[in-house]
Parts: sequence; C-alpha cells; structure tokens
Amino acid sequence: MSEAHRIAREPVLRLGTLIAVPVRRRTALVGVVLAVLIAATATATLTMGLLSVPLAEVPGVFFGHASPVALRVYDLLTGPRLSVALGAGAALGISGALFQSVTRNPLGSPDVIGVSAGAGAGAAYVGLYLPGFSIPLGSVLGAALAVALVAVSTGSGLANPMKLVLAGIGVSAMAMAFTQYVVYVAERDQALALAAYLNGSLNSRSWDHASTIWTVLLACAVPLLLLSVPLGLTEMGDDVAASLGVDAAVTRRWAVILSVVLAGGAVAVAGPVAFIALTAPHITRRLARSARPLLLLSGAMGALLLAAADLATQQIAIFEGLPVGILTLAVGGAYLGLLLVAEWRKKS
Amino acid sequence: MSHTLLAADRISVGYGGAPVIPGLSLDISRGEFVVVVGPNGCGKSTLLKTFARVNKPTSGHVQLDGHRLNRMRGRVVARRVSLLPQSAVAPEAITVGELVARGRHPHHTLLRQWSPQDDAAIAAALERTQLTDLVRTPVASLSGGQRQRAWVAMVLAQDTEVILLDEPTTFLDIAHQFELLELMADLNAEGRTIVAVLHDLNQAARFASRLVVMREGEVAGDGAPHDVLTADLVEEVFGIGVEVIADPQAGTPMVVPHVRR
Ligand SMILES: Nc1ncnc2c1ncn2[C@@H]1O[C@H](COP(=O)(O)OP(=O)(O)O)[C@@H](O)[C@H]1O
Ligand SMILES: [Mg+2]
Repeated sequence: MSEAHRIAREPVLRLGTLIAVPVRRRTALVGVVLAVLIAATATATLTMGLLSVPLAEVPGVFFGHASPVALRVYDLLTGPRLSVALGAGAALGISGALFQSVTRNPLGSPDVIGVSAGAGAGAAYVGLYLPGFSIPLGSVLGAALAVALVAVSTGSGLANPMKLVLAGIGVSAMAMAFTQYVVYVAERDQALALAAYLNGSLNSRSWDHASTIWTVLLACAVPLLLLSVPLGLTEMGDDVAASLGVDAAVTRRWAVILSVVLAGGAVAVAGPVAFIALTAPHITRRLARSARPLLLLSGAMGALLLAAADLATQQIAIFEGLPVGILTLAVGGAYLGLLLVAEWRKKS
Repeated sequence: MSHTLLAADRISVGYGGAPVIPGLSLDISRGEFVVVVGPNGCGKSTLLKTFARVNKPTSGHVQLDGHRLNRMRGRVVARRVSLLPQSAVAPEAITVGELVARGRHPHHTLLRQWSPQDDAAIAAALERTQLTDLVRTPVASLSGGQRQRAWVAMVLAQDTEVILLDEPTTFLDIAHQFELLELMADLNAEGRTIVAVLHDLNQAARFASRLVVMREGEVAGDGAPHDVLTADLVEEVFGIGVEVIADPQAGTPMVVPHVRR
C-alpha cells in the first residue's frame, strides 16, 4: 500500500523538525535552469560592450576590490540597470502569476485588465501635474484606481474572469487615452521624456530605482509566502477551498492587492514594460507542468526575460537604443499570437 | 442517548436575497449515516455547505461538538469535517496523486507542508477508490467516473470524523455508484459520521441510517427510511404519485413511480 505511494510522492525538503516542504523534481529542475540562465545573462550584461567590467573583475566588483574604472562603470551604468531589470522583471512575473491564478485564466495579466495602463496614467499624471510627488506612489495609485474601476464595473468584483477582461479593456483604453492627453498637453521635452518612460525603458537607471523595486519585492515576500499554497487551493473553486480551511475571497483580495503593488512598483522604475507579466508565469507553469501557481519561479522567469531583453537592446545592433518595452511588446505579442493559434487548433 | 456531533440551531442561510434556508434545526449524531433528499433547488447543497463552515448562517448557528463553527478557524474545522461539493474544479495539469494530496492541507502548517501521516492517508484514500494505479495520471484525462472518485479520494485523504458528500454518485455508472455507497457504508461502520445528498430515493433508503427529506429549505421528513419514505410524503414533496413497496433484496422501502407507459 505505502509502496505505491512512495513511487508517487515527491521528495520532501526537511530542515529539522520545523520545516518540511515537498519539492517537485520538475519544478526544482526549472528553478535550477532559470538560476543558471539569470547568472549568465547578468554576467553578459556586466561584461559586454564598450563601457563594461572585464569578466575577470566581476567578482571584484561585488566585493569592492576591482579597478576604479570598473567600479565606476558598474556603479553608474551597468549595475543599477541590471538590478532594475532583474527586480522589475521579477515583480512583473510574480504579479502576472498572481493574476492568472485569481482569474483562473492562463492568459490573464495585469496588462490585460488595466493595471499597467492605470499605473502608466498615474505616473504620467504625477510626473506632470504634481512635481515633487513620488512617481512610484503615483503609479501604484493609478494601478489601484484602474483595478478598483474594473472591480466596480463588473458588478461582481473580481470573481468573473470574462467580465474582468471586458471591463479591463475599457478601463485600459480610458487610462491610455488619459496618458495620451497628458503627453499631448505637456511641454515638448517633458512629453519626450514621458513617451520614453511610457514605452518601458531601462536607460539611465539609478540605484534609487533599484532600491525602490527591491524594497517592494522584499516587502511582498512574507505575504507571498503566506499566500502561495492557499492561492493554489482556490483554483479548485471557492467551496473546495473553504472545505479545506481556506477563505477564497480573502486569498483573492490579497493576491490582487499584491499583484497591483508589484506591477505598480515595476512600472514606477521601468515604465509599463509589456507582456512580461503575461508570458513569464505562463511559460513557467508550462515548463514545470505545475498544477499550482509558481510565484517564485515566475519571478525568476520575469527577471530573466526582462534582463535578456534589455541585454538585446544594448548589444544587438538593430535593437540598439530601443526602449526595452518595445522589444518585449513585439516578442510578447508574437508569443500571445502563437498561443491563441495553438489554442484554436486544439479546439477545432 | 447518542452524542450530538453537528447541530444546526435555527439557521437561516442565503445568498443575499431571500434566505434559501429560513430557520432550520437539525442535529447529527456521531456514527449516523444521514442521507438528505429533496427536489432540485430546495437547499440541500446549501445545508451541507453550512455544516462545513463554507457558508455562514445569517442567523442561528452551527455547533461542532459543542463549539460554534463561526468561532473556530477554518483549518481546525477542516481537520474534523470534510466536504465534497458539487462545484469542484480540477486545476489544469494536476495529477490524481497531487489532487488527493491536497486533502491533507488542513493538517499542514506554513512551514510543515508535509506531515508523517500524509503518506498513509493518501495511499489509503487511493486504494479505497481504486485509483492507486492512476496516481500519476492527469485528472483531465480520466473518465467522468474516475474523476469523481479522485475527488472522493481527496476528501478521504482529509481523514475527518465527519464526511459530507454532495451528490457523490453523479457521473458514476450503476456499478460504481454502489461501490461508492458501499465504501461510504464501510467508512460509517468504522465510526465516521456521514451526511450525503443523494438523488436516488431507493439508494437513499437502502443505505441511510436516517433519512432527511427537505422541501423549500425546511425539513419535511426526518427519521428511519422505513418511517419517512411513504407514498404520501413523496407525493407531497416531489409532486409525483408513487407506490412504496419493499426492496426485494433488503426489505427497505422502494419507491415505484406512477408514470404513463
Ligand atoms: N452561489 C449561489 N448564489 C446564489 N444563489 C444560489 C447559490 N447557490 C445556490 N443558490 C440558490 O439557492 C437555492 C438552493 O440551492 P441548493 O442549495 O444548491 O439546492 P439543492 O442542492 O437542493 O439543489 C437555489 O434556488 C439556488 O438557485
Ligand atoms: Mg445541490
């Protein structure tokens, strides 16, 4: 009897008697591969190009005994940019994983229901009309307002995925129209800066941007840890979740709040970078063939995708100088298109 | 006197509008096998969900072993009461083993997401539902009957003293229906308290130690099947003329409807 089950069960990671967590082999494998790819992308970002740190000096940079030139390049240029790319990518990946789980829609994302557009509009508004007010806070408030509008206009809160998407399209359109309006009435140089920001760009990031997004991630870490298992259970329906002791409505509310905060934080430091939130969790769950949302791994995948896209805009001649958001828009759009075609094929 | 395990005391339950259940009292004693029957929409599922602390009464309260459900934590209730609801959704890509393992959630904590009893409970649940060989199979590729059994196995893995099942025989062919009913009878004989909603009155009469007939959120009949299941009551509650004879095998009441042809 127990023999059959021993074959089925995944290994359990144990630390003393306090901690025991089952680890799926396939999920762990995807995690290891992601970690290696992130390390490779990060190293390439730091060492390639004219202004870069020689590979031999990379360890020295982290421990503060590299040459002054290498340290300066890292401090002013490549370091903060890479850190923001990884942080914002991770935030978007986790944000998307939360949303896809809440809406039980594998293609759900804050992009689709208006979080990014709302955050962009909030940032645009603050940047132009409230100089001195914090842009990160502005984008989080914009995102929250967009979600609140969507939740109110569905008439059923965040429970009905189909209505959510429809309301999201409407709210997104309004938010984008508002952003366009702000860009239109702004002074020329303000408008140019805003347009670059609204594409999603990682040019000239500072350590301030990096610490903002990593603070947001850190602040969300404990709630995400608490949420991870209950969130997976709510995917079986509210009644099943409740019968296992999980309040689905509370779980969903927290997931949406965290998703908005993370997406808002990412938009604040990198602009509304397209499609990372949609593709990262989707690819991750497919690769791992997981039955539950993979918050941590979706974050790793998002970090990898955004850092890799940013590396491409820096090193591949035809993309050079392009805001990273335009690249992710093109690649993500193609990915979504392929997915929809595959989905239709499967159905017909 | 038997010991009351679950007690609903004048509960009103609804979904925002007029209450579906307007003030119902029902005591379930330890070791009973209660079957709830009644027409569609009369509130059977609502009653079961209220017993499992899934729905909260707007007035009155449910007690588990003398403690009010709404004052207990969900996880604590879930260690003692399990529910198979009608609305279960299997996540994409989940395997039978993973689904069944989820029944163990109430026994876990944030840091201990595995307990030493898990293996035995899961293996037993799989064995009793004859799913041991399918543990690695995705739930999506099961037949309707196998899928229903996988959900039953999840509930069994929860290993609770009270098991509430909402139309568990749906989607099962007749052989598997009786297999499941026999499994429920075995669980009951081992000391577990069972409350099940069934559609088939004859199956209900055959397996229940106590039959509760509901109509429009109220209890219209309650007692041993032999006493409750009369032609008058069936006609009154379900609106169909019947004859009640003795089941030729078990002697329990058997309902034969008067229909044309
Ligand atoms: N989630 C819900 N929201 C609103 N109304 C509901 C919900 N669930 C059930 N109802 C209504 O409550 C009544 C009783 O439903 P239910 O308890 O499922 O009946 P039964 O299980 O006896 O068929 C029905 O009229 C049904 O429409
Ligand atoms: Mg029902």
